[in-house]
Amino acid sequence: MPSLTLLGQAVVSGLLAGGIYGLLALGLSLSWGLLRLVNLAHFALALLGAYLTYQVGTAFGMPPWLAALAIVPAFFLLGMAFHAVFTYFRVTELTSLLVTFGVTVILESLIQWFWTADYRRYETAYATASTRVGPLFVPTLEMLACLTAAGLAVATWAWLRFTYVGKALRASAEDPAIAAAFGVNHRAQAFLLSGVSAAYAGIAGAFIALISTLAPSQIWAWIGVVFAVVIIGGLANPIGALLAGLLIGVSESLTMAVVTPAWAPLVSFSVLIVILIARPGRV
Amino acid sequence: MSAAGRRVLVGLLAAGAGFAALAAVGLPAFYESFLYLIFSWIALATSWSFLSGYAGYFSFGHGAFFGTGMYTTAALTTMFGLPFLATMPLAGLLAAALAAGIGAVVFRVKRLRGELFGLLTLAVGFVLATIVLNTRIDGGPGVYLSAVPLPRLLASPTGTLYLLGLALAIATVGAAYAISHSRLGLGLYAIHDDEDVAELKGVPTLSYKLIAFALSAGVAGVAGSIHAMYVSYVTVGETFSITVPLYVVLMSVLGGARHWLGPAVGATIIASSLYVFTGGQQAVLGRALVALVLIVVILVLPEGIVPTILTRWRAWRPRPAEVFAAPAPAPVVAAPAAALACQDVWRSFGGIQALRGVSLGVAPGEIVALVGPNGSGKTTLINVISGYYAADRGRVTLGTETLTERPAHEIARLGVGRTHQIPRPFAHFTALDNVALAATFGPGRCPPRQARAEGQEWLSFTGLGRRAAALPHELNLHERKFLELARALAARPRLILLDEVLSGLNPAEIASAVRLIRQIRERGVAILFVEHLMRAVLELSDRVVVLNEGEVIAAGPPHEAMRAERVIEVYLGKAHVA
Amino acid sequence: MLLEVRHLAIAYGDAPAVWDATLTVGPGEVVAVIGPNGAGKSTLVNTIAGLQRARAGELRFGGVDLGAVPAHLVCRQGIALVPEGRRLFTRMSVEENLEMGCYRREARRARAATLERVYALFPILRERRGQLAGSLSGGQQQMAAIGRALMARPRLLLLDEPSLGLAPAVVDQMFEIIRTINAEGVAILLVEQNVVRALEIAARAYVLEEGRVVADGPPAILRQQTRIREAYLGLQEDGDTHP
Repeated sequence: MPSLTLLGQAVVSGLLAGGIYGLLALGLSLSWGLLRLVNLAHFALALLGAYLTYQVGTAFGMPPWLAALAIVPAFFLLGMAFHAVFTYFRVTELTSLLVTFGVTVILESLIQWFWTADYRRYETAYATASTRVGPLFVPTLEMLACLTAAGLAVATWAWLRFTYVGKALRASAEDPAIAAAFGVNHRAQAFLLSGVSAAYAGIAGAFIALISTLAPSQIWAWIGVVFAVVIIGGLANPIGALLAGLLIGVSESLTMAVVTPAWAPLVSFSVLIVILIARPGRV
Repeated sequence: MSAAGRRVLVGLLAAGAGFAALAAVGLPAFYESFLYLIFSWIALATSWSFLSGYAGYFSFGHGAFFGTGMYTTAALTTMFGLPFLATMPLAGLLAAALAAGIGAVVFRVKRLRGELFGLLTLAVGFVLATIVLNTRIDGGPGVYLSAVPLPRLLASPTGTLYLLGLALAIATVGAAYAISHSRLGLGLYAIHDDEDVAELKGVPTLSYKLIAFALSAGVAGVAGSIHAMYVSYVTVGETFSITVPLYVVLMSVLGGARHWLGPAVGATIIASSLYVFTGGQQAVLGRALVALVLIVVILVLPEGIVPTILTRWRAWRPRPAEVFAAPAPAPVVAAPAAALACQDVWRSFGGIQALRGVSLGVAPGEIVALVGPNGSGKTTLINVISGYYAADRGRVTLGTETLTERPAHEIARLGVGRTHQIPRPFAHFTALDNVALAATFGPGRCPPRQARAEGQEWLSFTGLGRRAAALPHELNLHERKFLELARALAARPRLILLDEVLSGLNPAEIASAVRLIRQIRERGVAILFVEHLMRAVLELSDRVVVLNEGEVIAAGPPHEAMRAERVIEVYLGKAHVA
Repeated sequence: MLLEVRHLAIAYGDAPAVWDATLTVGPGEVVAVIGPNGAGKSTLVNTIAGLQRARAGELRFGGVDLGAVPAHLVCRQGIALVPEGRRLFTRMSVEENLEMGCYRREARRARAATLERVYALFPILRERRGQLAGSLSGGQQQMAAIGRALMARPRLLLLDEPSLGLAPAVVDQMFEIIRTINAEGVAILLVEQNVVRALEIAARAYVLEEGRVVADGPPAILRQQTRIREAYLGLQEDGDTHP
């Protein structure tokens, strides 16, 4: 049985990793829950954001926060562009899964074309910085990512809960016809939401660039985890996505500490399968 | 076997013999390899379409079954020294068993259709990969099969694999033809268009899906087994990569997932194009191009290449209309006439009690109208009788058979037919095929030829004789309603449930519908119909049952029932009772 | 005339639901549309509210041609809908549902004042303002739906079967409230299966049968017509059925 410190460290890294999962899950949860479109390409988009952050960082020395400032609006527009194509072709939920599957492969191939399949590591001065909390180490960057995830989750929740646009989004998701009868312009909102969701992918990507080693195949590694997080957390539930992410992160990391690391991916996929089968009512 | 079937069989065997001869004569290794890969993809894509193309349950887990096959052979030959040829059937069986296991759990869950099923199968692939990677089966470094002896059927080492791949491809395409022209295929196509209605017409949806899934996985397993020997070095990364699931979807969708030859055509096209891009950076672009093609095809050519070509061909050279020899005069009803009896039926949804102890009966040759205000429970009762919902309490019997607690397709087989208020024909079936399906899966269990002949008869009966070859979207509402009726009748039911069959029809159409219903009654069928059009109710029905808030508040001959105090109160309010 | 409907034809795909409907509602008037199930009443009301497009005919509100107005802008003209079956946003709270009612900018400004008025009219909603709308009883949901529509400060309120599925005592309350609302100057187009109530409250009524207006006029005259009994029960006064 591993020592308490080891377990504690595992919990910490689990929480931090879970924060990234939550960050990734946020955009997907929003678009799937409120637009009824499954965007598999969300992960590819995030990875693209990661590579772009890496590129402008290493090639032009641009600090990541500045890179994010450029990437986020660009991704917002990209998200809207995607949605325009979806609306033009009247894509349904199942078709969206297939089409975004294709888009994911295209993006992955593009990434591999420009950056090759070699592992890339964005070396920054503060990459190894960490703070000590008692006997435990808390890496700074990952902490920052986790805090950003939490912040965004809360901000999104507040946006959905308190603003008119947020309420209109929720109403539209449940009964678009009646929402329209009270003045909600579903079409415009759908564009807004797609943009926001893609922007979140960009933010996640920036952090991923800072924290992990990059490889094109990473995309597929996340799919199971993040979908599990989205479904467990509940569609269109930002706080739920964050909590589910933390939960999965901790269970994975504890599995890694107690059993061998290679079994970790099993956790999220198995949970996903169980939830899909057992959860009553529509996801 | 039909003439067309014989032609296909001969064609397949000829192709097989031709390709085999080609290899025997001596092919350069490059071409042998190339052709083997095409055969392998043909088998994979075609088998994928058994469930996903025909029934519409898009699986992203085909790679999992392929991988199961690969690793079964890898493990059995290296760890246990089994001869390769013996591992082939085992690989297939194991993969099929895996699919059957998954299906047994997953197919019972009604919500798990569409994108959720796709996600689930994707997850299964990843789980399997992890398990294989972490146990002794692979453990990480991969499995070397180069030392495994391969029976030499031809001069070259890959010759055996070429022949095995060829045999598998031919067998799979042949199976695809057989399935798509069999009862199983018919049921799967119906499931694709409307699973609930298929079940209501007597298709055993659960078993059919399981069979299709298991068959599809079995073929993938065998293909994997052969491929393990081809690559001779098996790794988790390569085996369980996203390539197989992605490409089989693309190949089938491109070629036409519903057609038996579609996936084979798609596989040939895609595999050949991919071979053009050899290694390195070009392979990457090749994948991107493949994905782009997938997107374009899904958006622009949703049916696929083969069906699109066939549709154009038929438009240009239409088939002569089918001529049916007059079928032997059918018995009035296929089974002894039976009476419906509902005893004290209760059903609630969430907190709402939709049916409270409803009891009613319909005798053979009787027309009973079920009326009542909105929300009184009429459609719920119909759904309970037909088996779409289960009753919480109470019993429903038809003659001597109990209907409650039976799955809907069994109830259909016992002779219960129903129409829906908003017609739900199978969108990809012609009018004739729609009706013939009901005859095939109904209590009569007609063989195909007879089913089609009867279908034509029922279409003529409802006035749609000349529209037999039309697709539902080409019919107007009145025609679709009558198609719905013809389909319900083709199963030769003993009891027919009509749900607002007259709504939306103009007076002339209503008159002809009323005539039809009378003729059905004359054949000894028991009829229970839900209707709002009071004039028709009074004209047609022998008895009326009035429901309000889930309870029967009046029952009896029309005039009596409709004049009962309670009924008038419910419809018009107290003031009118006086 | 506030609302003018002339020769309106509405269809679902190729299934006609309403043929040649003509009706008017004056400012501050209460007009009822009665008729049996499936007659097309809801279709007509939904089209006026902008949920559907008419196939042919004219639809004018305050002089504006509604056919040219996009669905989500119809509310802005001053029409609010209380749909059949309530159709509240069940996953949102009562207060959020009410707030959705005043989504349009003009109404949003007066939000606080209107909310007060709605709570004064329906005290039970104030009690349950934080609860999920889906957890209310049928009668309370109906009140919430009416409240939501009132938040839009409409000139015309469309009520589709407000008494459906409600206990008689609650129905009494409902119609009292409808009277109160009308007294404040809001015109009302009421669709009802409950003929008695509808005729008690309306200044004029139209009888819709199988998609066509078959009778109209003040309640006193309509009550004497056998048309209504026929439409609902299919019986002529002497008990014979129709051919």
